[in-house]
Amino acid sequence: MNLVFAGSVITATAPVLFAALGGLLCAAAGVFNIALEGQLLCGAFTAVVVGHETGSAWLGVLAAVVATVLFAALLSVPAVSLGTEPIVVAVGTNLLALGLTSFLMRRILGLGGTYSSPDLRGLPDLPYTSQSALVPVAFLLTAAVAFWLRRTRSGLRLRALGGEPEAARSLGLKVTGYRHAAVLTAGALCGLGGAQLSLGNVTLFSEGMSAGRGWVAVVAVMLAGTSPYRLLGACLLFGVAEALGFRLQGAGLPQQAADAAPYLITLAVLVVARVISTRRRKERTV
Amino acid sequence: MSVTADGVRTRRPRNALRRVVLAPPVLAVAGAALLGALVMAAAGVSPGTAYPALVRGAIGGGNLSYTIASYVPTLGMALAFAIPFRAGEFNLGGDGQLTLGGITAAAVALKMPLPGVLAVAGALVAAVLAGALTAGISGPLATRLGLPAIVGTLLISTPATALASYLVRFPLAEKGTGIAETPLLPERAQLPPLGGSEYVTAGLPIILLVTLAWLWVDGGTVLGYEIRALGAGREFARYGGLPVARLATSSLAAGGALAGLSGALIVLAQPYRYVDGALTSPGYTFTGVAAVLLAAGRPRAVPVTAALLTVLQVGGEGMERDAGVPGQLTQVLEGLIIVLVAVLATARRLRRS
Amino acid sequence: MTPAAELSGITKRFGSVLANDSVDLTVLRGEIHAVVGENGAGKSTLMSVLYGLYRPDAGTVLRDGRPVRFRSPADAIAAGLGMVHQRVRLFPELTVAENVVLGAEPVTRRGLLDRTSAVRRVTELAERYGLPVDASAPVGGLPVGLRQRVELLKALHRQAEILILDEPTSVLTPAQAARLFAVLRTLAETGTSILLITHKLGEVLETSDRVTVLRDGQVTGRFVTAETSAAELVHAMIGRNLAPAPRRPRERPDAPYALEARGVRLGNTEDPGVTFGVRPGEIVGIAGVAGSGQRPLVDALTGLGPATGTVELLGADVTSAGVATRRRLGLAYVPDDRDGRATAPALSLARNLVMGDQRTPELRGPLGGLRGRAVAARAADLVTRFGIRTASAGVPLSTLSGGNAQKAVLARELARRTPVVIVEEPTQGVDVGAQEQIHALIAEARENGQAVLLLSSELSEVRALADRVLVLFEGRLVAEFAAAEATEAALGAAMTGVAA
Repeated sequence: MNLVFAGSVITATAPVLFAALGGLLCAAAGVFNIALEGQLLCGAFTAVVVGHETGSAWLGVLAAVVATVLFAALLSVPAVSLGTEPIVVAVGTNLLALGLTSFLMRRILGLGGTYSSPDLRGLPDLPYTSQSALVPVAFLLTAAVAFWLRRTRSGLRLRALGGEPEAARSLGLKVTGYRHAAVLTAGALCGLGGAQLSLGNVTLFSEGMSAGRGWVAVVAVMLAGTSPYRLLGACLLFGVAEALGFRLQGAGLPQQAADAAPYLITLAVLVVARVISTRRRKERTV
Repeated sequence: MSVTADGVRTRRPRNALRRVVLAPPVLAVAGAALLGALVMAAAGVSPGTAYPALVRGAIGGGNLSYTIASYVPTLGMALAFAIPFRAGEFNLGGDGQLTLGGITAAAVALKMPLPGVLAVAGALVAAVLAGALTAGISGPLATRLGLPAIVGTLLISTPATALASYLVRFPLAEKGTGIAETPLLPERAQLPPLGGSEYVTAGLPIILLVTLAWLWVDGGTVLGYEIRALGAGREFARYGGLPVARLATSSLAAGGALAGLSGALIVLAQPYRYVDGALTSPGYTFTGVAAVLLAAGRPRAVPVTAALLTVLQVGGEGMERDAGVPGQLTQVLEGLIIVLVAVLATARRLRRS
Repeated sequence: MTPAAELSGITKRFGSVLANDSVDLTVLRGEIHAVVGENGAGKSTLMSVLYGLYRPDAGTVLRDGRPVRFRSPADAIAAGLGMVHQRVRLFPELTVAENVVLGAEPVTRRGLLDRTSAVRRVTELAERYGLPVDASAPVGGLPVGLRQRVELLKALHRQAEILILDEPTSVLTPAQAARLFAVLRTLAETGTSILLITHKLGEVLETSDRVTVLRDGQVTGRFVTAETSAAELVHAMIGRNLAPAPRRPRERPDAPYALEARGVRLGNTEDPGVTFGVRPGEIVGIAGVAGSGQRPLVDALTGLGPATGTVELLGADVTSAGVATRRRLGLAYVPDDRDGRATAPALSLARNLVMGDQRTPELRGPLGGLRGRAVAARAADLVTRFGIRTASAGVPLSTLSGGNAQKAVLARELARRTPVVIVEEPTQGVDVGAQEQIHALIAEARENGQAVLLLSSELSEVRALADRVLVLFEGRLVAEFAAAEATEAALGAAMTGVAA
């Protein structure tokens, strides 16, 4: 029973964790990336469409990554190269993703709302579990990102240029190159997260199925700073809230409470964390 | 010659036509229409049938009155985004403020037997307060805890919408229909129709008056000046002795108030009840956001851009009926417009410098 | 032997300002070469050209006898140059070792970042040159003096053959400065060429081998240190032996203070805090190198930041009052941060000119309306009276030149004729013509009986305007001079904590 619950926590965590890792890389590079929500949706949709057409879930995953990287370029080119306000561009791309997936869903899959089909094959489960093979990838990537940020040249440089781009430039670091790389990598990660959402957590696509997970990822990044392990903690917390909501719904709580729970809990934790950190800062200065 | 809000005379440029045609908003709309056509072509839809169907759907036949009715919440939601935006805050949580406003209006209309005009007024005021409160919470979260309003308003929006959805399904539900909606509101709480129209109600003059009031506050009052100064530079506002936190929170709350009002104006009009999902599915919130960003910092352009995007939004639904083109194309176009107008504005700035 | 670097005919213009006018400079191997001059003489521009930050309009740079063209600091670094900036450019999130090796990181055989050897390398460098620092501490928590040491270690790690130090002692205590010079001497003995940018003659005479003097963008003297004197250098720097302009004696030397600070702490919690006052009709200058506590002092006086102790404005205790209250009571403030604090560049000039006064009866109409015509009239009046050059008062402030934007700020703050005015770096980034006008405006405020507090790192400015000069050093007031006693040497010594 508890194992089942733990399993559903991990399932709920994985897509958010993918997106949040992307957000963390962007934050480290000094780009405030709030386009994750739309990118998750883009990944989820592409995975289902290509998975459906080819009959291969893995090709769906691959296509999701490619499509979402291209979609992320829509943010990275204006925001990094032209200096357009990334927030405004991201508001646009989020809306574009929502519209485009719903529009194409009707044209390609032939219906709106929710699409599922016996022909659509989800990602295979790992042996003895009900977790898709992408789930451990999310957790392994967390460790990989942590290792990369701490232990490689490029990781160190990425951490440096986020805070002081001018100083980094004067050391000869290619700031725009790193930023493009960060935003596009976030796109790839959201592609994976989206694919996990539509072919791992469930085997279907429904309109707007990212359902705010991209925003939760943004909050997780704000809580974690540049520490991937704290990021993991924040995402797990969301996973617990979602799994708990699911469970309580089974126990008779209205669905709306289950829908709201992850956001309320995320918000509450953020508030508590911020209050504690401001208190500490005050104590230090007094 | 015209006199701006500063009382400063500005000369109309000689090549005014060229300036208008090459203005980022105009180019953005044209570019979005073009890219939208490409999307359609790629998806096997002929833009040649879709775009005329879109226009027909919005202003053809008997659709115009429905479009005008839809203009009311679209303009309202544009203001809900525009007011905090002038202070430098992004209110993306319009959906939650809209639905809580709507459900509050419905609850007051159904449960509080207020006499005469007070029935409508009471419902409107309650909705305004509900919306203001929902958005206002993000103020202290931003000013005291450093959670940007763009994230705060959005995170609050989902639970707020869930709460409204719960209320309409359980305590306020119409029993026995199986549809998640409230009972029909009592007649005295219904907004009076305008000129015998089926859809257009007194909501239209209300929202237009509110818009005029906002334009006056923004351009012609000390408060508007202070909000604008805050949006143009937080440190500058602090330096000038402005109550920065209070201004930011109140502009968020004012935005939420407008969203709440919009929700009430939807609910107190056809079909005179709160229907779950009916307030969020047309996408008023982001149509409003797109309208404001398209207006590119010119408040007086907001009613115009909101009208343009209402045509797009309503026409999208018509296009779906007439030409079988999914109405979600509207969101695609709005998204493209937002991206393009931002990019074009920076490109122009880069070229100048 | 070929010189390590040779600059010839370097000319660099910024708008109408000629920052470098055909400057020649030769740097020999293993020498300490001081480049001196007053603020604005063109020292920093010249060094920025050498370091690849600016491209010269004319002139050539030779490195080891070969012509080079640095397009960025990265090119200069690759050619063996290193620079320790006056404003430290470090990454607060990273550790000392990470900062030092960044851009030239040691890697293991597998291509990973070699953190142990980075720490070892930094510790080794630190020991060899007597610059002790904890290699694994995050830089964000270090005091300024230590951060500069990290900058120096950064250049040493890259084995810079030419090391440029821009005002290195401005953030150091005398003891720290002495240690730094000992290190520089060791470096020079091992063949490193050192360019020392400074305006402190004591340092020059003590440590350098040769001196090049700049004034108004031109070289006005080249000396071998051992064969020159302070007087000779001063003459080359200033052109004449400046005496402060005679000043009208203060009419009411015992009038009560219009602005008074008592025990206002500017940083260290153990400090007793600063105590001083400004009387009506006088200009009190606060001299000090940047970062000596000016920002917290101004924030405490204006209400923009927290204040300890007591701040009194016209006899009223305003220690915990907000900005608006103090402005209403009679405080005007010209900040040094023009684009961030003093103006909103996106707003029109007219709207910038009324900030702070928007709630006065003159501008605020019935129902909270802003009187558009009054705003326009105010703007037109200030534009004419203060000679602000602009197409119209309706254009965004960002379209004005630096000098005109600064005049707009001064116009807004001085026109109110408040009893107290705080002026911070009033001529920063402003051309010479505008400088004179701005100085005249500040002097006029004194004639009007306003109490003026002038904070400036330009010694010449403080000396030209102030009736009394207080010197701020490490968050404490360390000296006070009457105008006549405030010589360059005396102020310079006090500013670096040398004075008794």
